Amino acid sequence: MSCYSIAGEFKVKYSVLFIAALLIAIAIIAGCTQQAPAQAQPNEIKVGVIASLTGPASNVGTNMWQSAQVAAAEINANGGVQLKGSATKVPIKLIVGDDESTQQGGQKAATKLITDDKVDILVGGYSSAVTSAYEQTIAEYKVPYIVTGASSPIITHRTDIDTSYIFHHCPTTDTYGQYTTMFIDQVLRPAVNKKLGASADRPFRLALLYQDTAFGKGVQTAVNNTITKDKLNIVLVSQQGYKMGESDFRTPLTAIKAANPDAVYFAAFPNEGAPAMTQARRDIGLDTIFLSVENNDNSQFYKDLGQYGEGSIIESRFSPYTAPAGAMADAQNKFKNSYYAKWGTYPDMMGASTYEGIYIATKAIGNAGTTDKTTVKQALVDLSMPQIIEAMKGGTISFSKDFRESTFDLWMEQLAFNQTIGESRPNIVWPDNLKVTDFALPSWYKPGSA
Amino acid sequence: MIVIEKAMVDIGILLQILFWGIYAGCIYILLATGLNLIFGVMKVVNFAHGEFLMIGAYITATVFFLTGINPYLIILISMLALVAIGAAVERLCFRPILGTGKLNEIFLSIGLIYIFQNATAMIWGDAWQSIKSPYEGITVPIGSLNVPLDYIIIMIVTAAILCVLYLFLKKTRTGREMRATSQNRKGAMLVGINVERMDILSFGIGCALAAAAGTLWVVSGQVFNPYMGSIPAIKAFAIIILGGLGSIPGAIVGGLIYGIAENGAAYFLGGVWKDAISFVILIVVLVVKPTGLFGESGE
Repeated sequence: MSCYSIAGEFKVKYSVLFIAALLIAIAIIAGCTQQAPAQAQPNEIKVGVIASLTGPASNVGTNMWQSAQVAAAEINANGGVQLKGSATKVPIKLIVGDDESTQQGGQKAATKLITDDKVDILVGGYSSAVTSAYEQTIAEYKVPYIVTGASSPIITHRTDIDTSYIFHHCPTTDTYGQYTTMFIDQVLRPAVNKKLGASADRPFRLALLYQDTAFGKGVQTAVNNTITKDKLNIVLVSQQGYKMGESDFRTPLTAIKAANPDAVYFAAFPNEGAPAMTQARRDIGLDTIFLSVENNDNSQFYKDLGQYGEGSIIESRFSPYTAPAGAMADAQNKFKNSYYAKWGTYPDMMGASTYEGIYIATKAIGNAGTTDKTTVKQALVDLSMPQIIEAMKGGTISFSKDFRESTFDLWMEQLAFNQTIGESRPNIVWPDNLKVTDFALPSWYKPGSA
Repeated sequence: MIVIEKAMVDIGILLQILFWGIYAGCIYILLATGLNLIFGVMKVVNFAHGEFLMIGAYITATVFFLTGINPYLIILISMLALVAIGAAVERLCFRPILGTGKLNEIFLSIGLIYIFQNATAMIWGDAWQSIKSPYEGITVPIGSLNVPLDYIIIMIVTAAILCVLYLFLKKTRTGREMRATSQNRKGAMLVGINVERMDILSFGIGCALAAAAGTLWVVSGQVFNPYMGSIPAIKAFAIIILGGLGSIPGAIVGGLIYGIAENGAAYFLGGVWKDAISFVILIVVLVVKPTGLFGESGE
């Protein structure tokens, strides 16, 4: 009995020693591998949205902010964001910053969202001039920022500041300037030659009316570069600049008419594009084809343009009134219907990319498993997720390794006037894999002459 | 070289540019004349004057959307509404601070800019808007030009308003009292003119002229939003300095010069020079004649 007891005591002592040694070893190993305590799961994810709620760009900015809210409502309705390594989901909270359509306003909005509201990530930004003005703040505080509106390539190409936390989910002026010029060369030029009965080597006479900002000049540069690089048979017969926010375009349009163009490309915001095209047709008598940049593809533009949109072309990737056939149309219509149910109007493409921007932001945070900004930034670098409502190259949203830009599939729409509703409506006419109808020169079209 | 080549353009194009310049000048003339009338009588610097143009534009559009009345007729409603608004602003805002220093007037008017802009955005929203004239699409041949009817009507309406203003100031007792107050406020008081009545009247008429400019702006198919008034107001100030402070003929000539110069610069030098050229002219005139084209020393 006593022997048994002594043996039992030994067993207990060894067991105690063994457990103590194990605990010490675990503590040492844990001490070596875990430098800091694990970050607690956040109660909510704060997403800052920078949009122009007031000022000249308020129409687009409001659309962006409302689209972000549609995305947030959908995400929260599904329980929130699933963080990697966590069993529970975390809701997101949107906080808006109004850039007031000005550089100073943008600076104020970005600083407040970062320092006062302490957002985890930023989405939004419209007008390259405004957005580039507060990029320094983004660089300084190293907050991941998904830019969904400003289209100048300088947003992520500039080298004077660290742009490594900035990701561009919006086609750049380089891209859509190139697409539009290619459309002119492949579709418009042959159509005009056919109408004239001219030989295929007749140079196409293109005029350009551009906003004198990084955005407008970016389009101008892209058109010039594409013509030169691809040796296209297109001549720029007139290039007229104007100040941002201008509403009287009659004189530059008179100069353009004097140059006898075959078509006029407007690198303008919607509040400039609609009056410019109206004045061109109504006041100047420019019976030619007008081409517009994608940001014009919104419901207000169609309303303002009325019958003067007939026959004109818009480069686009999301339209309130049309979509490419197939699954993409279903996804876009679902978003449009959700937006309409909530706001009573239709979203525009800056709204669409901002809607996607919220999903991209939450996906990156989910993949990162944390709101730590460096980790989230890396998650954005490594991101690869299926396209959402806009057609992406390869059907995937990812950011290029050099300038952190996502790549879109763009298309061209031609407008047809609908007498019943008193507005024009778009149909996709290019490229072939997306088009729903063929491009046609209007009967009233007058080609230019040398 | 480019300028020389452009100078050799078709005379028809130059006439077209001149036509657009006169049209733009009409808007400037109405705005600057109203501003000058207020300055002439009250010696008040009102930076919020462009906001009255903006409110005139919104009143025109709202009445047009609600009633479908010809927008050229709405100009009377717009002007009457702004007489009332202007009188209220003078009575409630400017009169209490009159004579307390230019700085107070400047900050008061800057405050009014924000109040009017935000109030308009609250009532009508801040999206860009536009309306269509019932005469759009109708053109009239004038010599080698084929010009839209709307712009001819705008020029006629502007001329008619200026004629009525001239007759009012020259032929009516109230107009003469207003001119007397403008020339010598103390003297006017001594001869029994109610200068406070002249203040409220001139402010109301000045605002009504801005409203007329707003209506014509809208009818010509230009877009408008709550923030549209700031740039025209700055130009109106430049015009009255160019023409001579307090001088109605100066505002008319200055407005025409600005309209034509802006459009000429946009054609020959490029659109980015459109605003800058006005101030180049202003600097040149002030260097040569510091009182402005029609101004008198001591203003």
